[in-house]
This record gives sequence, C-alpha cells and structure tokens, in this order.
Amino acid sequence: MIKIENLYKSFGDLEVLKGIDYEVKEKEVICVIGPSGSGKSTFLRCINLLEEITAGSVYIDGVKVNDPNTDINEVRKEVGMVFQQFNLFPHMNVLDNITISPRKVKGMNPTEAEELAIQLLEKVGLKDKAKAYPEQLSGGQMQRVAIARALAMQPKIMLFDEPTSALDPEMVKEVLDVMKQLAFEGMTMVVVTHEMGFAREVGDRIIFMDQGYIVEEGTPEDIFVHAKNERTKAFLSKVL
Amino acid sequence: MIWNYKELFIRGIWVTLALTLVGYIGGIMLGLLIGLGKLSKKKWIYYPSKYYVDFFRGTPLLVQILLIHLAVIPTIFGQSLGYFVSGATALMLNCAAYNAEIIRAGIQSIDKGQMEAARSLGMPHKLAMRHIILPQALRRMIPPFGNELIALLKDSSLVTVIAANDLLYAGKIVAGAYNRFWEPYITVAVLYLFLTFLFTRVIAYTEKRFSNSYVPRQRRRMFTFGRPTGGSS
Ligand SMILES: Nc1ncnc2c1ncn2[C@@H]1O[C@H](COP(=O)(O)OP(=O)(O)OP(=O)(O)O)[C@@H](O)[C@H]1O
Ligand SMILES: [Mg+2]
Repeated sequence: MIKIENLYKSFGDLEVLKGIDYEVKEKEVICVIGPSGSGKSTFLRCINLLEEITAGSVYIDGVKVNDPNTDINEVRKEVGMVFQQFNLFPHMNVLDNITISPRKVKGMNPTEAEELAIQLLEKVGLKDKAKAYPEQLSGGQMQRVAIARALAMQPKIMLFDEPTSALDPEMVKEVLDVMKQLAFEGMTMVVVTHEMGFAREVGDRIIFMDQGYIVEEGTPEDIFVHAKNERTKAFLSKVL
Repeated sequence: MIWNYKELFIRGIWVTLALTLVGYIGGIMLGLLIGLGKLSKKKWIYYPSKYYVDFFRGTPLLVQILLIHLAVIPTIFGQSLGYFVSGATALMLNCAAYNAEIIRAGIQSIDKGQMEAARSLGMPHKLAMRHIILPQALRRMIPPFGNELIALLKDSSLVTVIAANDLLYAGKIVAGAYNRFWEPYITVAVLYLFLTFLFTRVIAYTEKRFSNSYVPRQRRRMFTFGRPTGGSS
C-alpha cells in the first residue's frame, strides 16, 4: 500500500534520511521508534510530501507520490495526518474543523458533511463538543478532534507524528484508545511514537530508526525482546 | 472669519475623507495582492512585488503625488484627470506598499502547522490560504491596519500640493485670503484631530469585535477595555 524506495532527504547540507526502503501492507500498523533527531518525522512527512523528497520514490497504491505529474492533493485525500501539536484551526469550531475539508475539497454537501462529522465525533467520544472552539478543549480532546478531522476525508492510510507527546500524562490514554480502535478496525497506520507500550501492543511491525537509517525492523517481539542490533538495544534499554 | 468659509471646510472634510477611504480600500486590495506576491516562491511574482514595496516605501509620498499627477497620468491619458484621481491613485499605491508588508507579516505570523494541516487534508494551497490562513492572519492585521488608516488620513493632506480641495487646502485658502495663520490652521488641526478621533473609535470597536479569543462573544475576559458589554465577568 505504501512503498518507499531508496528515499533520501536533505535539508541543505544536512542529510537526514540516507536511503530508506520499506513497504507497508494494507491494514498494517507500523510504529516508528528511535532517538530524537533520527529522522522519524521527516520520514513520515515524506510519505505525504509535506517535505520535498531529495531522491528515491514513494508510492501510494502504486501511484508515485513525488512524480511531477501526480496531483499531490489527490494523494493526500487518501492519507490522513495527525500532528504532535494538533494544528486544529483555531478560528473554527469543532464541527467546522472537521467538515471544512470534505466540503471544500470533495464538494460534499453541508448536511452530509455534518452527519459524517457527528458520527466521527461520536467515535472519538466528543459528540457534545461539536460547537466548542479548540481553545476551549483540553489537549487530549484537541488531538481526538484532529483525528476525527483527518478521518473525515475517509483516508485509506493514517500517519501519526508523536500524537501524544504534547499531552499531559493523564490524557495520553484517551488518544491512544482512539488509535487502538482505529487499528482494530483495519486502518493502515504509520505511527511515530515514544509510547513503547502502545507500539508493542498495537504495532504489527516496529521500525527502529537512527541517524537517517532504518537500523532494525520486525515484529514487536523481534524488536522489544530479541533486538539484534546494538544501537536498538542501547535505545530500548534507555526508554523501557 | 472661519465661519464665512465653513462650506470650504466642510467640503474639505469630505474630500479628505473620500481620498482617504478610496486610497485605503484600494490600498488594502492591491496590498493583499502584493503582500501575497512577496510570499510567492515564483521569482517573477516575488521580485516585482518586492521592488514595488521598496519603491513606494523608499520615496516620499509627496514626490509620488507629483509624479503621478504631472507625469504618469498625463502621459497615459494625454491630459490631467483632476486632482481627485491623481490624489486617490497616489494614496492608494502608497498605502498598498505599507499594507502589503502588514499582510506579509500577518500571514507569516501564522504557525506553519496550520498550512501543513490544511495541505495534509488535501486542500490546494489557494484554498488553504483562503479558508485557513487569511482568516487567522486578518485578525492579527487589524491593529497595524488601523495605524495605517490614521497615517493615511494625515498623509492625505499632501495632496494639497496639486490643488486638491482637501481639508488642508481650505485652511490655506483662508490663510491667504485674510493673511492670518493662527485661526485657519488651528481649525484645520482641530478638524483633523476630530477625524482621527472618529477613526480611532471605529478601529477600537473593530479590534474589540475580533479580539484575541477566537471564541465568539459571551466569554469571560480578564480585562475589558471601554464600556463593559454586560453579561458575565
Ligand atoms: N525544516 C528543516 N530544516 C532543516 N533541518 C531540519 C528540518 N526539519 C528537520 N530538520 C533536521 O532533521 C533532523 C531530523 O529531524 P526529525 O524531525 O525528522 O527528527 P525526529 O526523529 O522526528 O526527532 P524528534 O523525536 O525530536 O521529533 C534533525 O537534525 C532536524 O534538526
Ligand atoms: Mg519528530
């Protein structure tokens, strides 16, 4: 479903991704772990082309994302993204945050979009917050709205970039629960996370990244119990 | 003495107001285009916008007014189109340069995560600009836009040099007629003060309506400026 071939990414002279090959299959949940600055976010952001790709290619459903002839907006309709800082639109209430994109991008009619939004809000447990503004919500609530907003485009793939890192500890669970539910329903997900418990429980495969490389990859058991690489072991001994 | 010329002053007020408002509204629309141009990655859009701003901010408005009235318009149209067209055009072009900078800065002040979130939802750049970035940026632009409006009102007095019947011109006529300077120029000053005061009120009202909170109305505020609006607090 996502195929990444020999992906390189540099910011000026700084080489951040140094040849990444990976394939994500449908309904897989991939958790990306690794130390700060290892390139996890950059890797994720190259998938939906929020970062320009320096070399190599990314295919989604067989479509080459970084092809000049590809309409990136079409690709992005299929790929939802959730950010560490939520990035809700502060000038719109929750309902509008969720419906704006289906309405403006897909041309969905307002009533239909609203029904969809209510349905999604129910799913993330925030039906009563439809008319609230982002600044009236807690971090955990904002992130759940952000997930609902991404889902409103009915994507096939969801990307999460440290969705719980900006949250107070007591709010982490409510967001992870929503993500678990999503994984359970068969969403294809790539999740950059520091929540090792979540990675272990929900991840089908774990990627350990360091210094721009995928150092090790495997099932949660492969990585968390039988890590082979010294760097993986060193990292895990620090975070577990 | 002043009273005899009250019609001249009243007319002056209207001319000054009209010049200011036409220049200002045109200046905002043109400024938006140029401000967006200065944010463009395309060189052929960026550079003309940049040079435009550099020119109109880097030369005196008085020179611009004279150039437009005596050189640009006669060359294009073969004749003068009157002080109002020249004056309003000069004020608009000048104001656009300052507004472009306000708009550029306002847009750049919006967290880049907003654009990224919008784009990640499949919105094309223009759509994201219109529905996500500009509505947020505009409310940050209101205070500097207000300053610009007051500055323009005062700067509009420069059109007097092309014999526009504006407020300052009324003062000059009276001063000339009586060969007295205190009364006419004090009157002019007071009338400008009155106009800026009016504008200040309008701006304060606008700022309050679009205050720092995105949540509309009935929300407890830590501080209230001006008359309390009732409700909770
Ligand atoms: N826009 C940018 N311009 C320049 N350098 C960047 C940019 N974005 C990221 N980098 C650099 O690329 C490297 C990898 O960054 P990235 O954000 O992908 O790391 P990360 O693994 O997500 O780290 P963290 O766990 O802290 O989020 C870092 O050295 C970072 O400073
Ligand atoms: Mg990161």
